[in-house]
Amino acid sequence: MNTTPRTRLAILGTMSDLHRQPITYDLDCLRKVVADLGPDLLCAEITMDAWEREDFSKASLEIREALAPVIASTDIVLIPVAPTPERYTDFTPDSGWRRRLVRIFDRLLQWGQVQADDVQTVNGRWFGAFCHTVCWLTEILWTAKDRATWEKQNKELTENIVRAVQRDSGRRVLVAVQCQRLHRLIPMLRAHDDLFKIMPYQNL
Amino acid sequence: MRLHEIIVSVGGGHELDRAGLSALIASLPGLRVVPLDKTPPPQVLVWESRGSSDDLPSVSSDTAILLLTEDAGYESLPETVTGLLSRDEPLTALGIAIRQVARGEQYLSPSLAIAILQKREPKSSLTESQKSVIESLTNREREILGLLAQGLSNKAIATQLYLSVRTVEGHLANIYSRLSVHSRTEAMLVAVKIR
Repeated sequence: MNTTPRTRLAILGTMSDLHRQPITYDLDCLRKVVADLGPDLLCAEITMDAWEREDFSKASLEIREALAPVIASTDIVLIPVAPTPERYTDFTPDSGWRRRLVRIFDRLLQWGQVQADDVQTVNGRWFGAFCHTVCWLTEILWTAKDRATWEKQNKELTENIVRAVQRDSGRRVLVAVQCQRLHRLIPMLRAHDDLFKIMPYQNL
Repeated sequence: MRLHEIIVSVGGGHELDRAGLSALIASLPGLRVVPLDKTPPPQVLVWESRGSSDDLPSVSSDTAILLLTEDAGYESLPETVTGLLSRDEPLTALGIAIRQVARGEQYLSPSLAIAILQKREPKSSLTESQKSVIESLTNREREILGLLAQGLSNKAIATQLYLSVRTVEGHLANIYSRLSVHSRTEAMLVAVKIR
């Protein structure tokens, strides 16, 4: 009989890179959430190569200034799962009406972010639905090639998470990714519910 | 599940050292610094050693002592000392060492571990039974034993292999049991022989 407990997995959306312009983002809050949860493994968006070289130049602010310091001073082990350093904001169209519309959606998201300035709200259902809708509309404005790249990236990221779970089953795993991925990533991860149980991060 | 706070006290050394060390520990997530005479007793006492274990206070059996030291020149240490942390280690190692001894495990800084091994008599070779046990270890266990021989902490081994610390601890417990050794240092001695 297999007595290994089932892997518990929670997904935390982070949003420091939501817009190109710097915005107020309380990294202490993220540090506290991760340190309090104390997961066994933390899957984060940095490539394995960059993590091993400790090169955070292309990593997001939350990895550089929140996750890496928490990892360094606790027993949490970081699993780098990003297939490439490219992020959501790298896919914005260069010019034209598509770019203008993307900027409008950016401002809409920024407004929403200012309204929802705590972790519970940001990870709550309503803000999630709002963000997912805006992100989905934004993705429609990208070129077909960019959409395919984004989709491929999310798929590879999911595969990397699945591999980490398979390598070390029965653990508490926190996945911290830019929130724009959530509406893509969650359904892909749910397809692997034989390997892990997905739960709200508060219940990890 | 919330991370349990680990209660830590700081002692030994000079007052300024203690104050600095207390502030540093208090800034690490999940650690709280209290006076040594506080009830209930701390889980971990971080003791600034001056090169001798004679000045160590008597502590409750629930308190593990982590000795902050410059060398591994001790002839013997009380049983309550379960960790030796070198002053040369980076700041991040302090939190890892405190957590490890709080869990009831031992912590030995890599530089001190190597110094201890070098102080020993020239190595005897492995026994036949040890050789057969080592051959029967899984690839993962052999990999972990190899990293242990380099003096890496459990966290460093876990980080290198992209495994959780608990998984590494599980593998190590299995390795100790199969090699019939009772401590990390004994396992390291075996590991060094097969390098």
